[in-house]
Amino acid sequence: MRIPHDRVTVFRPRVPIKSDLRNSRMPSVFRVKARQATQGDIERPVFLVRDICAERKSRAFFDLGCSNWDLGLNEMRSRFFTISVLTALIVLLGSMLVACGRQVAELPAVEMRVVKDDLGREVRLPVKVTRAVSLAPSITEMVFAAGAGDRLVGVTSYCDFPAAAKNVQKVGDTQSPNIEAIIAVRPEVILVSTASQLEAFASALEGQSAAVVVLDIRGLGDVADRLRRLGQIFGSGERAELAAIDFENRVAAVERRQKPERPVRVLLQISEADLFTIGRDSFITELIDRAGGRSVTADIPGGYPKLSKETALVLDPEVIILSDSPDNLKPNDALKNSAAVRSGRVYRVNADILSRPGPRLAEALEQLATLFRKEPTGN
Amino acid sequence: MLEARNISVRYGPCDVLREVSLSLSAGRMVALLGPNGAGKTTLLKALNGTLPVAEGSVVLDGRPLAELSRREAARRVAVVAQENETKFPVTVLDFVLSGRFAHGGAFGWERAEDIAVAERAVADCDLQNYATRLMNQLSGGERQRVVLARALATEAKILLLDEPTANLDLAHQAMIFRLVRGRCDAEGFAAVVITHDLNLAAEFADELIFLHRGGLFAAGSAEEVLSEANIAEVFGVRVLLDRSPASGSVLVTNVY
Amino acid sequence: MKRANYIFLLLIAGLAAALAVAVSVGSESVSVFSPDEQGRAILLDIRIPRVLLGACVGASLALAGASLQALLRNPLAEPYLLGVSNGAALGTLLAFVLLGDVAGARPVMAFAGAAIATIAVYQMARSKAGMNVERLVLSGVIVTTFLSSVIVLLTSLLDAARLRGYTFWLLGDLSQATYNGFYLTLAAAVAGTILLTSQARALNLMMIGERDAFDHGVEIGRVRIIVFGMASVLVGTSVAASGSVGYVGLIVPHIVRLVVGSDNRLVVPMSAFAGAIFVVLADTVARTAIAPRELPVGAITALIGAPLFIFLLRRS
Repeated sequence: MRIPHDRVTVFRPRVPIKSDLRNSRMPSVFRVKARQATQGDIERPVFLVRDICAERKSRAFFDLGCSNWDLGLNEMRSRFFTISVLTALIVLLGSMLVACGRQVAELPAVEMRVVKDDLGREVRLPVKVTRAVSLAPSITEMVFAAGAGDRLVGVTSYCDFPAAAKNVQKVGDTQSPNIEAIIAVRPEVILVSTASQLEAFASALEGQSAAVVVLDIRGLGDVADRLRRLGQIFGSGERAELAAIDFENRVAAVERRQKPERPVRVLLQISEADLFTIGRDSFITELIDRAGGRSVTADIPGGYPKLSKETALVLDPEVIILSDSPDNLKPNDALKNSAAVRSGRVYRVNADILSRPGPRLAEALEQLATLFRKEPTGN
Repeated sequence: MLEARNISVRYGPCDVLREVSLSLSAGRMVALLGPNGAGKTTLLKALNGTLPVAEGSVVLDGRPLAELSRREAARRVAVVAQENETKFPVTVLDFVLSGRFAHGGAFGWERAEDIAVAERAVADCDLQNYATRLMNQLSGGERQRVVLARALATEAKILLLDEPTANLDLAHQAMIFRLVRGRCDAEGFAAVVITHDLNLAAEFADELIFLHRGGLFAAGSAEEVLSEANIAEVFGVRVLLDRSPASGSVLVTNVY
Repeated sequence: MKRANYIFLLLIAGLAAALAVAVSVGSESVSVFSPDEQGRAILLDIRIPRVLLGACVGASLALAGASLQALLRNPLAEPYLLGVSNGAALGTLLAFVLLGDVAGARPVMAFAGAAIATIAVYQMARSKAGMNVERLVLSGVIVTTFLSSVIVLLTSLLDAARLRGYTFWLLGDLSQATYNGFYLTLAAAVAGTILLTSQARALNLMMIGERDAFDHGVEIGRVRIIVFGMASVLVGTSVAASGSVGYVGLIVPHIVRLVVGSDNRLVVPMSAFAGAIFVVLADTVARTAIAPRELPVGAITALIGAPLFIFLLRRS
């Protein structure tokens, strides 16, 4: 890994390396204290070592590259291996740092400002951001909605909405962004989501004179606020404000609608054969609540649990929502006698608008609210 | 009983054995002698069909060995190979009983007769106290005796023994040779024994065969084969010949 | 003999008990003796086929493991070590991608994959001087890793959404059990028990050494074909039905050997019963541990199997 000389100027004889567990949620971001030529002492992550593989495996199949679907299996699998590699790398990098210290380089004269991101980190950004990379489809949608789509110089291969996003340079996918491709588009800002746990890449990229901003959208309530924040970052405050207000209005309109007397009992099926669904920690549970329903799996711990077929049968939902995907075309067999199937209340909803915590959540909310009020068509 | 007619064996392009003939009849014990790499083990493997012969043929009881099924061949010819270690916990009795394979059916459990045969073999090899021990807990010499016991348990009349005494103490060396000799004399067995002990061969074998560089060098009785010239030629050592004070057979003494 | 009979009876009773326990517990409590309509649906449509499939998968994998270990003279041999499981998994994946839901495509392709992997390993391991165990194990590792990369490649190239369930399935998962899957694995397990037990005496000799086996009248080539072929069938049907449930073929024969010794006439059929018990119980844990969520049964077998395996390894 190359240490960017223009960032690191003088290293103290003893370079304190410590793992900073509290400030970042990443267990293995290591920070090196460095001194910058003009700004005085700051502490910033210069490099990182992290087990990307374990992370990727656990989510790759489920993430759809774009969503918050989160399984959380396999997490520990290669931890052991990681620790040993980590130790070796720390020693190696430590000696490299000492070796290449005491070089002086001028910082480019760009006017900077400090922004706080969703991990509470203070990030230095150029006052005028002209080149940005988004590493999540939901963030790409947010940036476009905030009126700054034209600043995007790199997005993931899953970023397909709005249509203009398809024409932006692809820099890998959410799980495995291509660091070289990202560097090649010379971004000033790289936007990542906590949802896809990308701080690892983030810190690696930060060394490349690009600021990494974590934009963590946990659900419906965060969207308007983050749109405004993006407006600040890109200086497109007005358009962002409009988008935020529009979003808030659409949500409020849904909530003003007449609700069913009691919430309909809804099962959201993510995949048919495996019967993955949403749990307590999924923002879709809240979405269903706000749309006038109640997820029958709302009490199950975790974000996206694999549900027992027996329990699915007993839960007997009145409405089944299928997040639209080729492996999820009909309800699981265990649900064949459920109230929803018998009364024909099985609906497919675009998986992207459901699973991407972005501006289209309003649309998902509207659709769900409409579906929940639909009369049964069967007997 | 067993006859090799002008057989040659090749590993790839090189001849390991060239035009060797050997005839074994009931009651006879033949000792195969020769330096390392002379082709002794190869000959033994050819005699029971483990290695295919490139030229010539091996004839067992009047029929070419190649035409016999493995099971038929195994009922007639038993092999005591150089030792073999297993990673599985097998008891001595089970090991010896596995020698009864060629006599049983597919799902066959041993009949009382099989067990009797195996127990006799165990007793003959002085292993009564080891029957329930595990093979991998035995010493090399003990294991070698178990392998011999298994060969006896096959009830094959032809025994091919590849250095059966290599790891054995003096008492058990003599015991093995006496045992094989006894079977040959009393029950019409025939045996081919590879050994490096010229004196044991002279004492017990009816016929001695010197193999040298893949070919037959000399064959005949101890008096005919064990000459100072032959031994100097084949083994490259100088020896003195004498008579054993006990039995009167040829006694070879190394001159160092 | 006497003792072996008792152990057989014990295993049969144990299997019956395991099946009873497995059928009577689940993420939902159901009265087994007087179920209501919903309870009957849970028992008949979901729980019983799953439990029965688990038993057959366990028996199949343990049979394959026990016989391959004897054939290869390596107590650590396993369908996985040889790449047989990965071959079956790749076959299933291809069936899924190319043929979709064509009836019977999955198990047939899984068998084909397992058989091809076996033949590939066997051919790689064979040399002029015969078959060398170290070479075989090494070839198995090579084939396994190669097939793993093909699987990873395929799953990354193909539409992620279509294959995401496949990743869970790869870990070994019985939740998609059907009666048809059960019948097929049952047929394979029964045939496997009979056929492999019929080769057990030969395997007893093969276990000591191929030369020993040959000298004692074993038709080595035929035994090899029977064992490799049957193991491919067993692994193929199991993997097609439930993915790769690990460690069963390794752990179960080991434990059986600890109890009854190395005679394959006992080890092979007893492994079938013990394997069935092991997987049925492991799946019961997988179904109930974090109910109403589920774990893949392969995670449970690995969780139990790996430490147990290390313990056994250190003891021996």
